[in-house]
Amino acid sequence: MEIELNGLKETIPENISIDALIDLFKEGDPDLIVEINCKYIFPKNYKTTTIMENDTIEFINPNLGG
Amino acid sequence: MVESDKQKITRNRRYARQVILPQIGSEGQKILGKTSVLIAGAGGLGSISSLYLAAAGVGHIIIADHDHVEESNLNRQLLHSEVSLGIEKTKSAAIRLTELNSSIKITPLQTKMTRQNIDSIAKKVDIFVDATDNYNTRQILNRASLKYNIPFVFGGVQGFDGLVSCFVPGRTPCFECVIPCPKKENNSLGIIGAAAGIAASIQAMETIKLILNIGTGEDRLENRLLRISGLDMKIKSIKLEPDPECTACSDVDP
Ligand SMILES: [Zn+2]
Repeated sequence: MEIELNGLKETIPENISIDALIDLFKEGDPDLIVEINCKYIFPKNYKTTTIMENDTIEFINPNLGG
Repeated sequence: MVESDKQKITRNRRYARQVILPQIGSEGQKILGKTSVLIAGAGGLGSISSLYLAAAGVGHIIIADHDHVEESNLNRQLLHSEVSLGIEKTKSAAIRLTELNSSIKITPLQTKMTRQNIDSIAKKVDIFVDATDNYNTRQILNRASLKYNIPFVFGGVQGFDGLVSCFVPGRTPCFECVIPCPKKENNSLGIIGAAAGIAASIQAMETIKLILNIGTGEDRLENRLLRISGLDMKIKSIKLEPDPECTACSDVDP
């Protein structure tokens, strides 16, 4: 199925979780923030949140500098 | 203290371009003048938020930092200049902010913010403006924000990017609901000065809106995380909600 990840169209397997998506795209930041369709997802829910067709997803590396 | 006509005329002249805004007016300007703000850090973020808040006439700015000005600060920390190299950042900040607005009170606090000293700082201010560069100090500010019911205007920057949100006890998630303790250390991050400028300008704007209660929670950055992505120049608003299991705020309400 198709999704948009960080502004790019991507084709991914159906019914995968955020955790699996993070693995699939080899995103290595352990502190990653994920938003789906402009909604923040709690990291503890990455395992149980399933990606749906046409979701717009952004991986955000938290900026904590000042 | 009763305000004299002269004080009022001076104020309305200096701040004329914002007093004419219906959202501010003479009354709002007076409220700004009675407000105390903590700028927690005199670095890239604190440089810009403190300049805008001083210029806007916020009556008392406490600016806290424990560092001295270094050459590598000057690409973004616009409070400081070549003549301030080596001196205490808060002293340099106080000099610059007083040059900009001598009618407000500036308190330099050359110290590291800790669990021990945050209580006495919190008791003196109405709002926290985050300008720190690390998670631990933000956590200290967040806990004090919850304890003393003080809005916490979060900002964080790195590279070309920034994050901003207003965490208001009782109305929004807290900082720790959204940004859990990092698993990896991030020291000496690369940063383009303008990224800090954008994020800190937004923080200054939101601080004024919070002080004067301008707009609704949705108009302000409450329950939203603003993500500024400088490389592709996109700004996105991400909807937030409190974490019912947050160890910092979940049992705040009786
Ligand atoms: Zn919380």
